Amino acid sequence: MPGSVAEITAEAAVLESHKKFLRSTSPFPRLLALNTAGIRQFEQLGFPHRKHEMFTFLSTRELAATLFEYRTGNDDVSRDCVAGQVYKGCENSCIVLVDGQYRPELSDTSGLPSAFGILSIEDAVAADSGIENYLKESIGGENDAFAAINSAFFSQCPVIRIAADARCAVPLQVLHLSTGSAADPVMTAPRLLFHAAPGAEIKLIVKYAGLRDNYFVNSVQDFILERDACVTFTQVQEDAGNARHFSKNRIVLRRDSRFMAANASSGSRLTRHHYDVHLNESGAELRLNGLSVLRGEEQVHNYIKVVHAAPQCTSNQVFKNIVNDKSRSSVDGTVVVEKDSQLTVSDQLINNLVLSDDARADSKPNLMIHADDVKCTHGNTVGQVDEEQLFYLKTRGLPQEAAQTLLTKSFAASLLQTIEFASVRNDLANTLLKKLEANHA
Amino acid sequence: MLEIKDLHAGFEGTEIVKGVSLSIKAGEIHAIMGPNGSGKSTLAKVLAGHPSYTATQGSITYNGKNLYDLSTEQRALEGIFLGFQYPVEIPGVNNAEFLRMAYNAKRVHLGLEEVDPLDFDEILDGKMKLVEMDPKYKDRFLNDGFSGGEKKKNEILQMAVLEPQLAVLDETDSGLDIDALRIVANGVNKLFDKDKALLVITHYQRLLEYIQPHFVHVLSHGKIVETGGKELAHDLEKRGYDQYVTAN
Repeated sequence: MPGSVAEITAEAAVLESHKKFLRSTSPFPRLLALNTAGIRQFEQLGFPHRKHEMFTFLSTRELAATLFEYRTGNDDVSRDCVAGQVYKGCENSCIVLVDGQYRPELSDTSGLPSAFGILSIEDAVAADSGIENYLKESIGGENDAFAAINSAFFSQCPVIRIAADARCAVPLQVLHLSTGSAADPVMTAPRLLFHAAPGAEIKLIVKYAGLRDNYFVNSVQDFILERDACVTFTQVQEDAGNARHFSKNRIVLRRDSRFMAANASSGSRLTRHHYDVHLNESGAELRLNGLSVLRGEEQVHNYIKVVHAAPQCTSNQVFKNIVNDKSRSSVDGTVVVEKDSQLTVSDQLINNLVLSDDARADSKPNLMIHADDVKCTHGNTVGQVDEEQLFYLKTRGLPQEAAQTLLTKSFAASLLQTIEFASVRNDLANTLLKKLEANHA
Repeated sequence: MLEIKDLHAGFEGTEIVKGVSLSIKAGEIHAIMGPNGSGKSTLAKVLAGHPSYTATQGSITYNGKNLYDLSTEQRALEGIFLGFQYPVEIPGVNNAEFLRMAYNAKRVHLGLEEVDPLDFDEILDGKMKLVEMDPKYKDRFLNDGFSGGEKKKNEILQMAVLEPQLAVLDETDSGLDIDALRIVANGVNKLFDKDKALLVITHYQRLLEYIQPHFVHVLSHGKIVETGGKELAHDLEKRGYDQYVTAN
């Protein structure tokens, strides 16, 4: 679909940058094939124009107008920079990526059992042709232009494999650290692939953080869950205020596997989460909760697609957004129930709390049901603080401000409660909930 | 302590209370009884300062102060407590933390130092025994998923923590089984003394078996149509409210 001058220029800039990228690096042939498939797919999709259905609630105009220099890695990062970003309990189970490059010397995997393997993409595809086929297929069929850009540029893709029936007491943290830039804006393309073998269980925390401003982190993560595998997943977005963050998580669920996810965003200049979930075999289960607490001119947009491609699968989504000042959030969520996916159970709920006249929260819940024996619900609310709750607290002597803060916090806290890791919960209470205190101070 | 004179009040432009006068002194327990829609709950909401309920005529003074000059939270800090007919559920707000915030707001108002969570925990344990509440309710979200009985016990727990001078209990007995009713009423009785006053609003006489009022007022069509001692409540139980309803 043709775009305006801005999109055409941006597209040309990406292609030009890609030529430069290919000249400067020499990926091994199989990776080169994937990068090439990525850029072809991007050419097919084009730079998204203003009315693209995947970008209904956000403008990519500003991204199109900014010339990003592509960057892979930055050596100027010390252990001290990393230490403050590692959650309590993950000190010996933390994988660090700096500007998309896996940095073993900054990581510590001594607390992980041997059933956890971190393979380079070369080794992973050499060991398992299934991984390469999966990547070929997903990159060739990519529907998100920015994920296609990632496919074109990624130079590493650590593959994290959890052996069959393996369990780990400690959670694994993945830290995506962006170093940003003092001058020209930079783009990075972190990419990861998680493969949970049958019966494997892993608790995973992914955190995005920035050391400086002025970057565009454009990330893709794939999750393949084999039969009976269970991944408890928390993604925390705490990028620098002026950063752009686009991340796509593609999740493929096989028989009786479970993906229990929470996504917490503190927002930035422009943040977009894309969750693309495929419940491909019966008994698979998805839980996806999302929370954004925004102020100033921060933006967080969620684009969610959940495909029930097999009978007797369950998906449950709850999104909560708190917007203040001139901030914006959106949830564009579609659940597709395919023709033979009988006995599907699917719920989707979006609650927005709008604290100022200039803030905006958009919701577009969407159900596409092609089977006849299913139980699907969706709901959506937008509102201010509940007047009856406010009155109740005031009758107990709490001043207006304190009562209002308590209620906005409670709106977020009920979702934070679903995050399994106490250290992440506490950290988010200190970042997200603190933002709400300042709002009313 | 409380002096209501010719109060007219309503909800969104509809007059519901149509000329109520009532005087409550320290050490007194008053009961207001009446059929549904007679204005009982409106009166309670006006006393607490609910923003949707407005007084259009008449005056209310509390300890010599014009009540209308006080915001909802100031009324609470000055010692007025409303026990809700339908306590509000607030998921995400920890019950014990909320109680401590309310307790400390009151302490600050009285010029006292705030208490820390550990000290408050001890205070709270004592208060919970008073209303026979399981300590597990400390860590629950405020009223969230509580049974009807636990919600009402939680109201009285809040009353025990805040030690109000004037407590207005709006249909505290509704939705309670006989055991819960006894526990709630015992709690209220233990909290009452000669310096305090109680206004108990109820549809049924049942609660007044446990909380013995000095005065019973019958409210009908927004007016107090009869006042008597506690025997009036028994009388009403036999006669019903029909006479008042048809009389208008």
